[in-house]
Amino acid sequence: MHRRNGIIGLIAVLPALAVVLGFATYPILFAAYISFTRTNGIRFEWRGLDNYVQLLNDPIVWTVFVNNLKFLIAVPMVIFCALLVSVLLYERVRGWRLFRVVFFLPNVLSVAVIGIMFRNAFGYYGPINQFLGLFGIAPIEFFTDGTLAISVIVLALVWSGFGFQALLLLSGLTAINPAIFEAAALDGAGWWQRVWHITLPNIRRILGFVFIINVLYTFTSLFGFVFVMTAGGPGFDTTTIDYLVYLRAFSSSNLGYGAALAMLLFGFIAILTVLQAKVFRIQEVD
Amino acid sequence: MSDQPSVALTGRGRWPVFVALTLVALTILYPLIFIVLTSLRTNPDYLANPFGMPGNWTLENYAELLDVYGVGQAFVNSMIVSSAAVVLVLILATLAGYALAKLPVPKAKWISAVFVSVMLVPGPVLIIPIYLLLSRLGMVGSYPGLILVYVAGGLPFGVFFLSLSFRAIPDEVIESARIDGAGFLRTVWSIVLPMGASALATLAVLQFLAVWNELIFAFILVTDESMRLLTPTLASIGTRYLNDQPLVTAGLLITSAIPLLLLAAASKYIMRGLAGGVGK
Repeated sequence: MHRRNGIIGLIAVLPALAVVLGFATYPILFAAYISFTRTNGIRFEWRGLDNYVQLLNDPIVWTVFVNNLKFLIAVPMVIFCALLVSVLLYERVRGWRLFRVVFFLPNVLSVAVIGIMFRNAFGYYGPINQFLGLFGIAPIEFFTDGTLAISVIVLALVWSGFGFQALLLLSGLTAINPAIFEAAALDGAGWWQRVWHITLPNIRRILGFVFIINVLYTFTSLFGFVFVMTAGGPGFDTTTIDYLVYLRAFSSSNLGYGAALAMLLFGFIAILTVLQAKVFRIQEVD
Repeated sequence: MSDQPSVALTGRGRWPVFVALTLVALTILYPLIFIVLTSLRTNPDYLANPFGMPGNWTLENYAELLDVYGVGQAFVNSMIVSSAAVVLVLILATLAGYALAKLPVPKAKWISAVFVSVMLVPGPVLIIPIYLLLSRLGMVGSYPGLILVYVAGGLPFGVFFLSLSFRAIPDEVIESARIDGAGFLRTVWSIVLPMGASALATLAVLQFLAVWNELIFAFILVTDESMRLLTPTLASIGTRYLNDQPLVTAGLLITSAIPLLLLAAASKYIMRGLAGGVGK
């Protein structure tokens, strides 16, 4: 009976397993293979580490990596906003359930929608310039300057990310035993003191988690924003690694080069993830 | 999550919190209201006074998108692809999730490891190999190829999520169904599906949103103009017609309509999932 159930279970798992192996696992291994070849997609010529060597000597790759580092400025901004909002939500004021849904709202919108919203808002004819015009300020070309363009994308990242993360942090806050707060209140601790000495230390772990997903996000998920807002320009000023993978995949005669870039990104993400696991373990011990 | 007000603030200390939350909520709501109003006016009217109310209300931006830019067809296409992907993910993830939760599947650890390892892979890594794989299979430019990519992307989380919630079904219920002579499929149909209904609904909503909003694979893998999905169609309209804000904002609203409706309908489930899952 046990054995029979096992076989039935295996048969039930197989379709899902086959799709994932075929359309996710196999493509990753295939990408690893492609990265060692020179190829146009039809004929594959084994080239060893050539693509990787070429990558590391490519000044554009370094420029783009530095761009990604610039986008990291969004991480503390998102977390600060999320923390602020979660502490406010924790007070359970009138209508807090509705506030929760409003803050979650950007999360159901496509990155393409949010990107176009911000592109429009900061466009030459957009509301921001129209508003500045009311004070006689000439329209600003936000997307012809690398730093300004990155700032607008960072703003879009903060706007679309803080609400969901505030809800994640709120779930951490809710897990704190209210008795701790009551004891602190009896001892005469003020509201700010309680936030600083009780709330923050108690949500360290989830803060760490939110920090890591934000960092990973800036390295893997900016494609949509860059695609609709700047197309990587001016020059390569707003091109990110994931966008460069796309550019190299469809504009270069050697797909191996794009695949090698993708594998480097994958390796980098894997290292970040392992570091994350380490950090979590340390926090569980103390 | 309790409804008890926190003990941290007294009654009088609470209204600044309410005001602050309202201000934050406005940073999200005002842009959306602005978009709705802008989409309902003509371009000259918008340029004359962008922040006022529309001088004359009109639906012509929506009509133009449907008639000239094929947004109606793209909407239908997106519906077909998203629904197909969601149905497939639900079926495959239910079967696999139930088996992993309740049956003695051999090598279950290895199978779970395959699913989990794929969850960590960033999408951009897959662009080139997926494109080459599908072009070898002759599936570039067809929906089945795209749908399979979405299903493969959604299954790891789906299986993990469902097997977690199916584990909560009491073994006695399943055992008594077996004694009544119910086989595997019958048990899934008459016990697992009804008892896991809210988990299935949550997964369906999340999966639908993910596919509906996806840009990169929809853009790369569908090349035929008449088969284009909604999100890439909007992306190309939005990047091309920069000086016609009302037209573009109407496109933004058409694209966001379904996600916003889903949020309105399912916010209770989503919020419950968020409150329970991660904090502990």
